Amino acid sequence: MNDYRLNISRRRWMKSAGALAGVAAMGGWAPAHAQSGGRIVLGTWGGDYSKLLAKNIDTPLMTPKKYEVVHDIGGDPERRAKMRAEARLPRGTDDLQGLSAAQMFEMNDAGLCLPIEYSKIPNAQYLLPQMRYPYGVGHIYSGKVILYNPKLITTPPTSFADSLDPKHGSKLGIIDIQYQFTMMAAALASGGSMTNYEPGKERLMACRKAGAKILPTNEAMAQALQNEEVGICIMWKARAVQWQKAGAKVETVAPKEGIPLYISGFVIPKNAPNKDGAHVWLNEMLVTSAQEAFAEDMGYNPSVGNATIPPATEKRIGFNADERKRLIDLDYAYLAKNDAAFKEWWDKTFKG
Amino acid sequence: MTAAALPSARTNAPGWTAAAMLSPATIVVTIGIVIPIVILFRYSLNQFTPAKVMVDAFTLENYVKFFTDPYYVAVLLRTIRVAAVCTAICIVLGFPMAYVLARTRSRFKNLLLLIVILPLFVGNAVRAAGWMVLFGNRGFVNAVLLWLGLIHEPLQIMYTEFAVVTGIVAVNLPFVVLTLQAVLEGIGRPLEEAALGLGAAPLRMFRHVLLPLAMPGVIAATILSFILAMNAYATPVLLGGPTFHMMGPTVYDQFMGLTNWPFGAALAFVLMTATLLLTVTSNWLAHRRYRR
Repeated sequence: MNDYRLNISRRRWMKSAGALAGVAAMGGWAPAHAQSGGRIVLGTWGGDYSKLLAKNIDTPLMTPKKYEVVHDIGGDPERRAKMRAEARLPRGTDDLQGLSAAQMFEMNDAGLCLPIEYSKIPNAQYLLPQMRYPYGVGHIYSGKVILYNPKLITTPPTSFADSLDPKHGSKLGIIDIQYQFTMMAAALASGGSMTNYEPGKERLMACRKAGAKILPTNEAMAQALQNEEVGICIMWKARAVQWQKAGAKVETVAPKEGIPLYISGFVIPKNAPNKDGAHVWLNEMLVTSAQEAFAEDMGYNPSVGNATIPPATEKRIGFNADERKRLIDLDYAYLAKNDAAFKEWWDKTFKG
Repeated sequence: MTAAALPSARTNAPGWTAAAMLSPATIVVTIGIVIPIVILFRYSLNQFTPAKVMVDAFTLENYVKFFTDPYYVAVLLRTIRVAAVCTAICIVLGFPMAYVLARTRSRFKNLLLLIVILPLFVGNAVRAAGWMVLFGNRGFVNAVLLWLGLIHEPLQIMYTEFAVVTGIVAVNLPFVVLTLQAVLEGIGRPLEEAALGLGAAPLRMFRHVLLPLAMPGVIAATILSFILAMNAYATPVLLGGPTFHMMGPTVYDQFMGLTNWPFGAALAFVLMTATLLLTVTSNWLAHRRYRR
């Protein structure tokens, strides 16, 4: 009769463990060999943006170069917290982090970003000047415009002053998570500037007192516009295009005070495991086909000058020559320095 | 000698067994809770600078900021009020439900229990999303009220304390019912019958027999519900909206929105301490009241 008891000697156990470790090491090596470019972990927002990154960059441009691109999906607050938490590690999790221009500045200010080696990104020669940062590369951009429903707002607004006006009462909608841009727009409407948001506070308080609706997210605003609970608000033009596509009856107006830029881009954390791969990805991000696809699919403008956008799309998402002159970049240093104070005012005084 | 050693071995064996049984959980709790709490407390004594998030320091300024700022004190008081109201509603609604579940001899008892547990199969955020559909200006509740002609303008239900309390009660109720039901199952029905047989009215029997005997369960359910409500996050965010602030979302905002880790850590500690103090005090008072 066979003895099926588990009888493992120390020597046999050591041999087995060694063999297993060897197999595991081979296993770990095998995919890297198959993907000669290696693996890139990309921190990004989820939803459409992540899908479009995969559709327009990862699959058509990176896979042929034998790179495996993995998305580390999360909101930007969580991903920024992760960058900070991993700052002391010699090897972080992500090779790239998708952030807004203000957040890229903030992360660089905290000493967490690798200086971009533009010599490794040949396509960067076509980058628009505002999209080129020493610590990050702009991917797409849009501008803050006014959205209004002509049925509810019969006199078309032309400026931030027209839109952030107490006369609209509860038909004015304000997005909570857009507090920075709302304060900035109110400042521009009230004689302030990109380095002085203070003058806008009084205007915002007057709007709030008149019954302006504060909605928690961009999506909640889209729903409120659709339901006609809100008739006027300020938002990225790209989002307006998406909402128009979804059936919201809204028109857009480029404010005469200036059109604050919203730039979304990518930084490489200092402790990124695959820095070379990250530079390769950034280069592919700027390929015209990828940029043109993003304009069409998402309504954001390309960050490179050599992309060809069909005239119909350009009309929908872009800015004419006169409007382009009014595009204004933010003062990221001012924003980073005062953000905590702005948020505190917003929560404690404005929202009450 | 062997005979003399045996009792001693028997005495020690349960001790070792208990230690062995407790060790894994103790290790998990130490690594997963105690160490992070110690780190968090250390963070709460640091200073915030926007660029570096925090600078090593030993200062109480974050706690001073909390207790001297009426805004944050109001957030804490609101959180305590909501937690207390939700807990009271859960106990009042949950007790009869738990009693029926404990006393029923129906063959559908397991099905009834499953119905109570069923909401726990769905995450808080998903449940809150369901309430959003009901409570929206164009939601089910307003649509029905408008259709019945009871109102002419949609009621503002979303982003109110009512919506938050309703959402939290829905989350906590199954926990309360299950806790109470387990205790009520252990109280013999003959005790109730004896009281009723001796002429006590049902309410009197409840006050003098059932409730005192069920008090350990009521206290446990109260503690559970209160702690869950104090630390609620998804429900206040989704149903309370941007203007209704409770402590859980405020802690998150400080950590993630403002990257003010020292103040966020201080807020977390204030929340934890307030929850602990209120729970221990209410537990002590209840025990004192019903010890007789």
